[in-house]
Amino acid sequence: MLPVASAERRWTTLFLALAFLLPPGLLAQAPENSSPADVVIKNATVMTVTHGTIEHGSIWLHNGKIAGVGASVDTPAGATVIDASGKYVTPGIIDPHSHSALGNDINEATSPVTPSMMMIDAFDNSDKALYQALAGGVTTELLLHGSANMIGGQAVVIKNKFGLSRDAMLFPNAPRSIKFASGENPKRVYGRRNELPSTRMGNFEVMRQAFEDAKAYMATWDAYNAKVAKGDKDAVAPKKDLKLEALADVLRGKLYVQIHCYRADEFLTEEAIAKEYGYKVRAFHHALEMYKVGDRIAPTGTGIATFADWWGFKDEAWDAIPWNAVMSMREGVRVALKSDSNDYVRRLNQEAGKMVHYGGATEDEALRMITLNPAWIIGVDDRVGSLDTGKDADVVIWNTDPLSTYARVEKVYIDGDLFFDSSLPGLGTTHFHGVMHEAGFGGADDEEEDGQ
Amino acid sequence: MKIPLRTAALIAACLPLAGLSIGQNATQVGPNNTELSPAKTTAIVGGKLLTVTHGTIENGVVVMSGGKIIAVGPAASTKVPSGALVFDAKGMTVYPGLFDAETHLGLTEVAADANSNDLAEPSDEIMPHMHVYDAFHAETVHIPVARLNGVTNAIVAPDSEDSVAGQDSAIQLYGRDRDAMILARDVALAMNFEGGVRRRANYDGPAKFPTTRMGLASQIRQAFLDAQNYEAERAAAAKPDHKGPPPKRDLKLEALLPYLKGEKPVVLSAYQSYEVEVAMGIAKEFHLKVILNHLTHAQDILDEIASYHVPVIVGPIYDAPSPDQRYDAVYSLPAELQKRGVKIAFSSLGGSGDVRNLPYAAGYAVAYGLPYDEALKAITLNPAEMFGFGDSLGSLDVGKTANVVVANGDPLDVRTAVQQVFIDGAMVPMVSRQTQLRDQYMPLTGAAPKQ
Repeated sequence: MLPVASAERRWTTLFLALAFLLPPGLLAQAPENSSPADVVIKNATVMTVTHGTIEHGSIWLHNGKIAGVGASVDTPAGATVIDASGKYVTPGIIDPHSHSALGNDINEATSPVTPSMMMIDAFDNSDKALYQALAGGVTTELLLHGSANMIGGQAVVIKNKFGLSRDAMLFPNAPRSIKFASGENPKRVYGRRNELPSTRMGNFEVMRQAFEDAKAYMATWDAYNAKVAKGDKDAVAPKKDLKLEALADVLRGKLYVQIHCYRADEFLTEEAIAKEYGYKVRAFHHALEMYKVGDRIAPTGTGIATFADWWGFKDEAWDAIPWNAVMSMREGVRVALKSDSNDYVRRLNQEAGKMVHYGGATEDEALRMITLNPAWIIGVDDRVGSLDTGKDADVVIWNTDPLSTYARVEKVYIDGDLFFDSSLPGLGTTHFHGVMHEAGFGGADDEEEDGQ
Repeated sequence: MKIPLRTAALIAACLPLAGLSIGQNATQVGPNNTELSPAKTTAIVGGKLLTVTHGTIENGVVVMSGGKIIAVGPAASTKVPSGALVFDAKGMTVYPGLFDAETHLGLTEVAADANSNDLAEPSDEIMPHMHVYDAFHAETVHIPVARLNGVTNAIVAPDSEDSVAGQDSAIQLYGRDRDAMILARDVALAMNFEGGVRRRANYDGPAKFPTTRMGLASQIRQAFLDAQNYEAERAAAAKPDHKGPPPKRDLKLEALLPYLKGEKPVVLSAYQSYEVEVAMGIAKEFHLKVILNHLTHAQDILDEIASYHVPVIVGPIYDAPSPDQRYDAVYSLPAELQKRGVKIAFSSLGGSGDVRNLPYAAGYAVAYGLPYDEALKAITLNPAEMFGFGDSLGSLDVGKTANVVVANGDPLDVRTAVQQVFIDGAMVPMVSRQTQLRDQYMPLTGAAPKQ
């Protein structure tokens, strides 16, 4: 993990230094701690995700955390009180599969195994896609490496505090995730160059070999550590290798494995390889054929992050059906919806709404697919994803039922601080006052440009 | 509406049986997923009718016969002919089939598979003699998927790679083969004036004219001038005193003539304000009948656009605003245009659009200020009128083609499920490749297997 606190101090110092030199219009970063101690939102339809929907309910945000949710809550003196009559309140939306804010640096497509790539090194906090997602109520995103490589890079988890520094946007102490891929993308990218892999056989063999390399690497370190433990002063430390270290961390269970995978047969192969090498798959991403084998994947505990109704754009998406999410859920799989797109990320609430239509999800089930379940996939469900006392105060106020087509985001709070307010003139941002950057590719890892 | 999955699955699996008293034989699927038997006189009874032209009728009746709507009105005063099949639509919403103003239906199957794509002919910019009907794949898997969400008609257009990409066809999303599905050929000319077309700019290798917007504009002008000249030569050759052989037929130039005469519309796509102005300048020069398309980043000249008095296709409003624009700059475009008196239509092309999601784009525009009735019109009557089908499609009116949709709620809401689609008065089998896959695997969820 990065030393967040000290990095933040550095940025703040830099900011203060620059503040005197630059005209106000050029300041992209406003002061970072402007949140009021207490905000109370009253008279709303509060959709908690974990304990039902409270009509005429209230929620109290205190020092960045949720301090109370219910028919009524304490209102401390000095609290900012918002009358949300007729409005809806939900937890912030969580996108477990995004390539936003990574410019055109999504894929290091020069080798099918690149586990030491750190997406944080490409994170551009001025990308307009972050702003547009914020205006759609998205408060947490998992920014992943693309799918050109069987074993890609390590993700960064952000809170969408648009306008703050890069470091201040990192989700504190979020688990590390690594992106794997399978199927058409790796074989297309390397096959075109007449390199391995160009088939699914090649894909999986590349992966197995990588883990064999990692095991050998771990063995050299184990041997060295054993010598040191025995007091051998002449023991020579093996060379540190970033790539093998990262793979070793997969085998040590230190990285959540997030696998881009479409086809039913490949879910089964991936699970078999994970079992063979002793790691867990956290989630299959895309997972458009999970409905075919959900009953077999459910016992492994692996979740999915899937599209609501995207289909047909490539051969391995040809059997996609919009009932996939709800059917997989009924088969026992933990299901999240995700964007993989700078477009869809702006209206994941509507994607959840479609689940009522395609398979008859309850509103709670549908909302869970864009809040608590993606939080679990990222590994932060103990802190975000529902409106529960003690959780981070990441809260969205909507004009109407967020699962309807007519829903608009009115306000977004993250850690109790207001980051977006549609009633404000201009952009509606409270912390961002600079110039945004154009987004990179469409934000999807399945674009034709992928890996080129 | 909340339906537990098992009930929903059951309804879905046996959809043609849900809430109706029509015999099961109506579900027999024949060639290209159409019904085997001809449509019988059918009455949709008890639903809430969204007529588009004359308001909402609670508890209404629509009677269809011979492929046409023969009666529409309140249940109290609208007679159901004796012997008619009765579709019970109590608690349902009934509305005209949706009309998508721009699609690639039948021109592409799997986007990533080049062999299944006939989207555009990129060898030259000026390709008016490309007719999409020559590529239209009536048996595409995409059409049943789209019509199950209530889309019954669409414009099929080539992709926007060329400045003059070809001519559109109008289709019905139901029919046993190509001839039954194509309503009209060459209904409009697809033109694009946008930076993306300048693909010939190749700084690493030999470049080919045009590589700039100047080049594109000049090439378009020259093409129309050539067509005018061609017509003059042909007119001269047709005179009795003409000597020598007639000029050789030129299919490319000939294809431009109906548009130069203003007989048919040109669908003119542009994104930025200055592109709109340049393109409209050319259109005025040649007296083209214009339908503007997209206008995604033209928010600063909306009054000027209104003064053109041309209709506008706004796409699905999912294109992203520029970095300097407010997040809702594109979402609010339909409302801003409609407020200025501009006739608008939605299409599913743009952003992550998909034909079956057409109604949700219209609904999203309602969230950003478009009146509900105008949104519904913009996916029914307005596109029908723009392309010359105002008399036959787009509303629940006597004499119109019997394209009617029955859904379990508001058609613009993502939560609503279409229950039955009628096209040409025929009850469309509610089957697609996707429902077949769903039904095949449904038992894994514990739901009852399909009977």
